[in-house]
Amino acid sequence: MIEEPYRWVEAIANRREYIEAQLVSGSPIAALGYRDGILFLTLGQARQKIFEIYDRIAMGAIGHPGDIERLRMAAIELASTEGFTRSTADVSLRRLVHYSLSPVMKSAFEQVYGAPYLARMLFAEVGERPEEDLFLRVEYDGEIATSGTTFAQTRQDFAALSGTRQSRELMESFLKAEYAPDTSFEAALKSALDAWSVGHMALQTGDAKELPERSAVTKYRLEQLANSGIEAGILERDPSRGIRYRALLDAELRALIHD
Amino acid sequence: MEAPLVRPDQTFSGAADDFPTLLRRKGLLGPAAIVDAVGPVGKLQQRSWEPTEATTILAFKFSGGVLVAGDRRATSGNTVVYDRADKVLEIDRHSIMAIAGVPATAWEMARVLEHSFQYFRRTQLQEMSVDGKVRALSKLLRDNFGFVMQGVGMVVPIFATYDSNPKPEARLYFYDAMGAQFEVTDYAATGSGSPSVRGILYYQNNWGAKPLQKLSEDEAVSIALRALDTAAESDTSTGGVDRSGKIYPLIKIVSREGITTLPETKIAAVFKKTVA
Repeated sequence: MIEEPYRWVEAIANRREYIEAQLVSGSPIAALGYRDGILFLTLGQARQKIFEIYDRIAMGAIGHPGDIERLRMAAIELASTEGFTRSTADVSLRRLVHYSLSPVMKSAFEQVYGAPYLARMLFAEVGERPEEDLFLRVEYDGEIATSGTTFAQTRQDFAALSGTRQSRELMESFLKAEYAPDTSFEAALKSALDAWSVGHMALQTGDAKELPERSAVTKYRLEQLANSGIEAGILERDPSRGIRYRALLDAELRALIHD
Repeated sequence: MEAPLVRPDQTFSGAADDFPTLLRRKGLLGPAAIVDAVGPVGKLQQRSWEPTEATTILAFKFSGGVLVAGDRRATSGNTVVYDRADKVLEIDRHSIMAIAGVPATAWEMARVLEHSFQYFRRTQLQEMSVDGKVRALSKLLRDNFGFVMQGVGMVVPIFATYDSNPKPEARLYFYDAMGAQFEVTDYAATGSGSPSVRGILYYQNNWGAKPLQKLSEDEAVSIALRALDTAAESDTSTGGVDRSGKIYPLIKIVSREGITTLPETKIAAVFKKTVA
């Protein structure tokens, strides 16, 4: 296969198609920065999808549980040993993803005789101020997307992850239109639930190109909330605490949802 | 080929390495010291070591949880090298390790312990049990025992924590240098000044105005200050209260709500009223 470059390209394309098909059913995850922290949220999942990685870093992931577990362990190991040998302040999400996770995922993906990582991950690192929040999405092939300022885009204080590209893009355009940064937790919670609903609706219909009507989103959200549990976690901005991650309970969140 | 991020055997084990093992695998922590009791010629070597835990640490249960106090003096032989040493260390939201012994080893142990508990919670998605935490410290002491036999790195800590399961209560342990742990019901003291402190706490608990567990916070702080001042009276390695320099012992309290560090102003006020 090495002597036949065309076969290699074909194998990679097949592999990409296969992985995308496996990820399609992944329930969306929304991550939103608000005044006092960052909220991760998803709904109706069979197993845990939002995890603490280090003092200021959390992760949400969809994919095969075995692969998610290996990547999660690797991220925790890397962050913990770095924090131990240097300082917790030296653990940086940017370095963790760019220098450690992405290269390994890329080579696993391209070595067509080995197994790729069947996972798509969303990381966030809470900053001192909302402008310093960082969101990074890592694909199964090691591709990285950021919500930070780049040459191509201005900053966004949110990020989304979903089973299909189309669903994720709809969530992003919904949040871009609806979500004001530096807001209260309640507002962030409501936007996260709506963004999840937009993403999940797109997964159900399959070929949605336009954002659904406002009323349709609300109706869908209420229906889903009646049948599914909420999984959520926050990274708190409060600098007086070392460990910022806290998992939120379904019941305490429902008390804050009003319409 | 790129080295895999995670070793395959770990993937199958179902449980992660404990944190010290992970550090050793990555070459970030020295190997456990080997106790070389038998010399090259096969004779049993008789070694003895000088107790080097020059300090005074005490802890006792009172009505508001566990109070842990330590003096601030660090010594090297007969020389006072530092008068603001911090020997009462927070390990997590509900656990305190107070140290007597060689600071370099003790602080390293505290760092390993702090990361171990968090590493366990993050990888296993549950809090380490109190028994697990107590064992983790015991294992670190055991790993260090070879250095103790060589006359360096002796650490004799106290561990105080709040256990929410199954019965919510404060729990207090002291250790020996080999890593044996002893749970106490009322009080513990360690370091060179501890004999007099133990005497005071025993007397107070049995024949004082009320037993230690019934004391209010101010009364508890007062007893802790008096005990440390008494230890400093005869032990040159214990700082006690530095009246001219206005340096007070470090006092922390573990309760159901977590750890509170008493502000120096509060300690100074109790000192002025009941001790000075």
